[in-house]
Amino acid sequence: MSTRSLTRHNRWDIFIHWFNAVLWLFLTATGLALIDNPAVNPLGQRWPDLWRGILGGGGNLLVVHEVAGVVWVLGFVAYLACNRRGAAFFLREVFRVSPARDIPWLLKKPVQMTLGEAGLRWLGQDPTLPPQGFYNMGQKAFAQAAVAGGVGLALSGAAMLASHLILGPGAQLLVSWSILVHYLCAGLVFAGLLVHVYMAAVAREERPGLFSMFTGTVPEDYARHHHRLWFEEVAGGPSRKN
Amino acid sequence: MATTSDLRLTRRGFLKAAAVAGTGALLGSLAPAAPAAARAAASDAPYDRSAFSVCDMCFNKCGLIARVRGDKVVKLDPNPKFLKSRGMLCARGNAGLRQLYDPDRLRYPLLRQGERGEGKWRRISWDEALDLAAARMKEIGEKHTRCGMLFTAGSDMQSGFVQRLAEVYGSFNVTSHESLCLVSNNRGFLDTFGEVPFPDVLHSKYVVMAGANRFEALVTPDSMDLMTAMQNGLKLVVLDPRRTKTAGLAHEWHPIRPGTDMAFMLALAHVIVGEKLYDAAWMEEKTYGLEQLAAHVADKTPEWAAAECGVPAADIVRIARELAAAAPQAMVYPGRRSSDYENSTQIRRSFAIVNALLGNWDRPGGLLAARQVGLKGAFPYTAPWYDDSPPERADAGRAPIMFEEEGSFVHMREAVLTGEPYPVKGWFIYKTNPMQTAPDRQRTARMMQAMDFVVCVDIAMSDTAWMADLVLPAPSYLERMDPASGLQGSSACACVVQRDPVVPALYESRPVFDIVKGLAQRLGLGEFFDFNVEQFRVEQLKGLSDAARALAEDGVYYNPSKVYGIYEGRAHKTKSQKIEMYNQRYAELGLDPLPVYAPPAAAPGQSLRMVVGRNALVTHSSTQNNALLHELVPENTLWIHPRAAARAGVRPGDRVEVASPAGRGVLAAELTPDIREDTVYMLTGFGALSGGLSLVKGRGACLAEILESRADALTGNAAMHETFVTVTRAGAGKEARS
Amino acid sequence: MKTQLAMLVDSSKCIDCKACMLSCKVANAVPDGAWRNWIKPGAAQGRLHFQPGGCMHCDTPTCVQACPTGATFKDPADGTVKIDRSLCIGCGNCIPACPYGARYRHPELKVADKCDFCAGRRAQGLQPACVDTCPTKARVFGNIADPESEAGRLYRENQSRLVRVVNARTDTKPNMFYLAATAPLDWPVEARMPSAMGLMAGATPVLRGLVGLTGLGVLAMLGRQLVAGGGRGSEESKEDAHVD
Repeated sequence: MSTRSLTRHNRWDIFIHWFNAVLWLFLTATGLALIDNPAVNPLGQRWPDLWRGILGGGGNLLVVHEVAGVVWVLGFVAYLACNRRGAAFFLREVFRVSPARDIPWLLKKPVQMTLGEAGLRWLGQDPTLPPQGFYNMGQKAFAQAAVAGGVGLALSGAAMLASHLILGPGAQLLVSWSILVHYLCAGLVFAGLLVHVYMAAVAREERPGLFSMFTGTVPEDYARHHHRLWFEEVAGGPSRKN
Repeated sequence: MATTSDLRLTRRGFLKAAAVAGTGALLGSLAPAAPAAARAAASDAPYDRSAFSVCDMCFNKCGLIARVRGDKVVKLDPNPKFLKSRGMLCARGNAGLRQLYDPDRLRYPLLRQGERGEGKWRRISWDEALDLAAARMKEIGEKHTRCGMLFTAGSDMQSGFVQRLAEVYGSFNVTSHESLCLVSNNRGFLDTFGEVPFPDVLHSKYVVMAGANRFEALVTPDSMDLMTAMQNGLKLVVLDPRRTKTAGLAHEWHPIRPGTDMAFMLALAHVIVGEKLYDAAWMEEKTYGLEQLAAHVADKTPEWAAAECGVPAADIVRIARELAAAAPQAMVYPGRRSSDYENSTQIRRSFAIVNALLGNWDRPGGLLAARQVGLKGAFPYTAPWYDDSPPERADAGRAPIMFEEEGSFVHMREAVLTGEPYPVKGWFIYKTNPMQTAPDRQRTARMMQAMDFVVCVDIAMSDTAWMADLVLPAPSYLERMDPASGLQGSSACACVVQRDPVVPALYESRPVFDIVKGLAQRLGLGEFFDFNVEQFRVEQLKGLSDAARALAEDGVYYNPSKVYGIYEGRAHKTKSQKIEMYNQRYAELGLDPLPVYAPPAAAPGQSLRMVVGRNALVTHSSTQNNALLHELVPENTLWIHPRAAARAGVRPGDRVEVASPAGRGVLAAELTPDIREDTVYMLTGFGALSGGLSLVKGRGACLAEILESRADALTGNAAMHETFVTVTRAGAGKEARS
Repeated sequence: MKTQLAMLVDSSKCIDCKACMLSCKVANAVPDGAWRNWIKPGAAQGRLHFQPGGCMHCDTPTCVQACPTGATFKDPADGTVKIDRSLCIGCGNCIPACPYGARYRHPELKVADKCDFCAGRRAQGLQPACVDTCPTKARVFGNIADPESEAGRLYRENQSRLVRVVNARTDTKPNMFYLAATAPLDWPVEARMPSAMGLMAGATPVLRGLVGLTGLGVLAMLGRQLVAGGGRGSEESKEDAHVD
């Protein structure tokens, strides 16, 4: 097997990924703890009580969450400003969906991951999965959700922060709906996050992907196997292989 | 492989976390501290100190406890030990700190530049101001005799010092607010009972209240006691052309025709006398003139009265009988403001006579004599004699039984305008605002224009100050040390109050005592002011051994003096030495010894009678610029009955022009069935001219501008219900402005 | 002993002098245009009747139900409904949720605000500002769970006559009791829960379901990984059948 490496992520990609991960988890944890209404409490009463106890009250929790949110947005602004090409590449790739290839892939992959090839055959499906590009459809779906959700969270978060600091009473409708949007976006992305974390950190076949989030590179074989279309683009395809 | 990447994860992860944490900390320190949290505690923080004082938002002088945080007064609380107010502080009292901190307050002496009323001022120093004023006063004294100076002081604990200055300066021409208010009421009761009584509402069982509006025109303890007594079974009957809150809360309200109260009272007397519902022995012992009264009211039947006043005859009879049944714990409430009709004194005489018939003098639930308070006069003096002084005050001779020490503002104004009997060319005004509180504002303006020199001492640039030559800033009550003052609280108490500054005087304000002392010194009269307020107070309290301690510890001193039975074995200060229902002195003076009814003037054409009244959130013309009160009463409106409005083509929300021969004004119309069809009403004190009253300049309309200058025939008390006005539509909604 | 702070009002004594409104406003720095308490004009038997009121510190407050962060809550320690200003984000959900219109959004502080029975004054041993100042002493304040206090006694002695002013559709069990008859009675409005808030409550089970589903999926994948083995070699996905 070839042990050549292909560069997959640059420093900014790596930075923004982990920056995102840390802050998102923190924001999710504190955000969920900010909800304290028996009709809503998604994790029950204990979660908000725990965090408020740790931080010395809901007021401190709110400040912590707001500061983290602002930091997160600023980080992203810096990422976009200093890495325009990389950000554009990412968005291009993430939103480049080829229905003929990607939909079947997206439908077959979960079956393959849970029931194996046998499972696919049992369902009468060709166990071969269509070739994928830089990102597979699973990654793209999650990334799309994360981008949309992130924008939603940022805007609704900004609305709530503005309400807290500067807005007048006329903005109540905006703020009330912002809370809902914030909640829905967070819940949606979190659902996808579970799969992402499993696939990235637990599933063995994706291990090189995980390492690439530190090293920035993936082995050629991995690229050829998992992201064939990208491999062919950058490494020139089978005719270029030596 | 896994190990290496783990290490890398650890290193990278740590670096990233550190970067994030650092950024977070930096930004956290920059992020605006949640403004809510920062200010959460402000109004909840404990008060640093408390200090006694006494409210000045109206004349009642309710004891209060001022709460201070740092150097700011942040709350005024009632003094729970203050019996006269029943431990309360009303809306205006609570708003008092906005008088202290009113941004429009006068700050330093101002000298007029330009024309009177133009509003151009130059700031001068106190020395310059006092030198100037003294010089002008001296000039006027030399040119026009000392009576060429008029002194007018409002209701204030330091007004006595203004009177002292007037006396030693040598002027007889001293007026106050009283002749725009209640001198005719005082006259009527004084001439019946020998002194002005205080009603014991708390212990009364039946009150007929004609015109007074105790649940809005708050008087302590009467207003509070009235509600308590009603809860305990007192029946309240209100006669008023308006359904005031008092009328609305009363058991019975009769929309009596304005100006006919006397007919009602004479008819009550007719029933009580005719059916012998009085205590004959008591009447024999205590009163004079029953026979004459009986003859006088023989033909004043309830039917006759009903035709005059509009209250059904059957009700008049019933009320008379109910009053008599409840007697002696029954009364016709004396009221205060009687600046209404040209026969105002005689109207009050009729009130007093019914009270006499009820035998309620000096007894629980009736009319009480003044209680002993015990303050002494301080630093007595003999005023110097000025050879060239005219024989009398300038308004003398125009009203047969005018109070010498009060005079009549309306007549004094005529004297100034006509220059008869002699010129009055200078005016010292303290804490009163005749431009707004005297009828016929244009006339008052001409009076001011006729003066050579007008100095006005006030806390705000009132319309009167606006027209003055020299304006001197005085401090609010919370900044002042005041002499002791005795208060009558009927059965609640007889007490002494005083003031000490809660906070130091703001800006360059000086109490009027300092001003008159400064003037006196410059006029060579310093010997009459050879003391300070503190010393004055010590003298006042000399006879009351416990007073100083009580005032310091409780904020008030009570004299546990007699409440009832004060007149046991004592003569009334009348000719007969009894309660004179038939007034012999009046007879001698050629005045009606018993009140003679004359129907009020009929309204010319479609015009409507204007009446004056009060509101719990407004004190005359002195509180309109208070931001807190302004929020609740930003301007006045014209109460007009819907049918009268319809006849004038006025719809709800319209603005109307109200015009009389004296003047006109434009304000919003308030269509309401709570007023008689033939009557209209608007609050005093709005439509200000002064540019120094930012909240009330041009807001609403000025009642004084519209009221004609009339006076009670006997005392010269202003008669403010004798004006008929036309009401015409001035525009929809906010179109027209005055 | 349980504490339930409450207000007992004899509205037949009220003369609508507005002392309570101004006293409160000054004591609590209530901004222009807003009021923490009120007097409702009414009529009874042909006479005027005035009804003082303010936040009722209800037992089942709808304002608390509308708050997403728990910034407003009923404090079991004293029975009052409080607002934690540092936690309130000013979303305004609680304002239409009060049948009495007792709340307002503070224009400077950007948070919800309302009567708190003058907590600061009580901490100094003073009465709430409205109670203290009233000319006719129409309001009595105290712990109705304490039978020895004035409020407790009044509450006990007038049990049969006490009137709560409630909206027919939203009875929040207010802790402001009117002694005998009071008017007007029909002015509180139905509590309005902002639709965004209702949707948030409805969204919770949906989101839980969604996350649960993906969680189950992950567990299934993990299970397969553990059972069927893993690693690159044994489970090559057939994406590219003819790799080298």
